[in-house]
Amino acid sequence: MRAYFRWSLPAVMMLGLTVPCQADAVKKPANNAVCGDYGTSVHFEKSPSDAARRALKEEKLVCVLHISGYFEDPDYT
Amino acid sequence: MNALANPEVGKYLETYFVCAFQRVGTFRIVGKAKQGGNVATYFCAPDGRVLHAVAGPVDAATFLREAKWVVETAKKGIEAAKKDGASFKAFMRTAHAERLRNEHGLIAEAVTFDPPDPQDNDGALTYRDPSGRPLAPVLRPPPIDGPDVKFRLQLEAAAAKAAQDGAALLRDRHGRGWALNNQGRVHVLMAAHAMGQIEKLYGSVFEGILGERISTRPVEVVNPFPWVGRDAKR
Repeated sequence: MRAYFRWSLPAVMMLGLTVPCQADAVKKPANNAVCGDYGTSVHFEKSPSDAARRALKEEKLVCVLHISGYFEDPDYT
Repeated sequence: MNALANPEVGKYLETYFVCAFQRVGTFRIVGKAKQGGNVATYFCAPDGRVLHAVAGPVDAATFLREAKWVVETAKKGIEAAKKDGASFKAFMRTAHAERLRNEHGLIAEAVTFDPPDPQDNDGALTYRDPSGRPLAPVLRPPPIDGPDVKFRLQLEAAAAKAAQDGAALLRDRHGRGWALNNQGRVHVLMAAHAMGQIEKLYGSVFEGILGERISTRPVEVVNPFPWVGRDAKR
């Protein structure tokens, strides 16, 4: 019985440690897929002119936000 | 803007748009309360001509609907215009006038031709920054004919909704007043000025529709009770 615990207890502990890691590994790509800038799910170019240049190259439209305050800081937006 | 945190909105914007932001206004923080401040979203061609705008903060569903409308309408416009810029501009303006009629029950004639207009930046009809520097011209809206009588129920519903959204009064060509919310007023503006450069349009949206001052001044933090918390530090 003691020999049984000597092998099974570490095995159970190892299993306990690895299961959460596997769960995280599965979740991470889903989070990255919608991860954007400044707490949004959108990536922002540095300036509207940079966005326009990229849009022209990729044949997309440009979405420009005009805001009050500092977009980088949620407390000041 | 909470709509931009929505994954579906993010995915759609990443597919069809390249995004950027620009600071054009400021606000005050008095104590813990925010005074003023707003947001406007412009959907533009890569050369800076505005196809559509969203005035003020909106929820994710509304933002997605507007973004999809721009993409779909632009696709139809490109197909119909057959590479003719003037036809595309007329198509976009007519599309805005149609939305104004269908969703807000008002008829405005789309301005499909821009007469040559030498802009007088020194005159009174210009939005200016606090130092008095001219920023953008005040754009003249298209004449509003009045209500579309075929959509009476929609008009009543739109008027009720507009009253909730904080509508502003607009006069038609007979002098009658109509309540229209921010998005309705964007369509009025766009029926006459869609495909105009963003530098010309943003003043009319940010100051004319949202009622905010264009400013490069920093956020002002005002503490009306400076003694609060001072005792705690002692």
